[in-house]
Amino acid sequence: MAETEVLPDIEREEKTGSKSELEPGWLVVCWNDPINLMTYVTHVFQTVFGWTKQKAEHHMLQVHRQGKSVLARTTMEKAEHFVHELQKYTLHATMERES
Amino acid sequence: MNLLRTGKNGLVFQLHQREQELLLHMLKLYPLVPASHHRLSQNTDAPRADENQRLLEEALAERRQENRRQVLAMVEEPARFRKTKIGLELTVSPAQIEWLLQVLNDVRVGSWLMLGEPEPGDEPAVTKANAKYLLALELCGVFESVLLTGLGVGESPDWAGG
Repeated sequence: MAETEVLPDIEREEKTGSKSELEPGWLVVCWNDPINLMTYVTHVFQTVFGWTKQKAEHHMLQVHRQGKSVLARTTMEKAEHFVHELQKYTLHATMERES
Repeated sequence: MNLLRTGKNGLVFQLHQREQELLLHMLKLYPLVPASHHRLSQNTDAPRADENQRLLEEALAERRQENRRQVLAMVEEPARFRKTKIGLELTVSPAQIEWLLQVLNDVRVGSWLMLGEPEPGDEPAVTKANAKYLLALELCGVFESVLLTGLGVGESPDWAGG
């Protein structure tokens, strides 16, 4: 599947800690994987991020059609948490530094 | 296997004896995905990349151990499957559905990796060596779909043409 730059509807975290912890310079990215069921990916997004079904489906379709979707823009610590949660469900997720 | 009802202790699924045997057989295959399969980042130059990768693998290993423990509990606890006149009933709480989904999808993805990561429709011909993985790929997908339907997650017509 051709890889296209995805413009995310980015999740901005509330500022409640120190400045370094609050730098939302990390992206949580989910990559296309032909094996995972579309319903499964939708469910995982709803479970991990607490999203509505509509929003989870939107990101699932981005992954499916465009090769990837940026699921969150957040701090390093929270990005690690989200990637870990997604990988528990065997989704192909990584965290990338925002350029 | 299909959803029978939603009870106070969770979702109640009805399944036949053969379906139970197949479900337990699939669960026993867990884990299939190698620990090194997951990468924290595609950028290996990220700060503390090696350390963070190690921590990720440790955390996933802990999770696998816990999932494995629950798998064994299910396999070794026949009472979890209640006999009825027409088959068996399996009651699973929402939390149990989550680990069941994680376990089944690990076996599904692991089987796909063992088959050489084929694109849909391009799966290899059945051989003695790969039959186990082709079967697991299909069966785990079926069981996942039943669980997801029970949770109210179904396919939408809008997804067509993907």
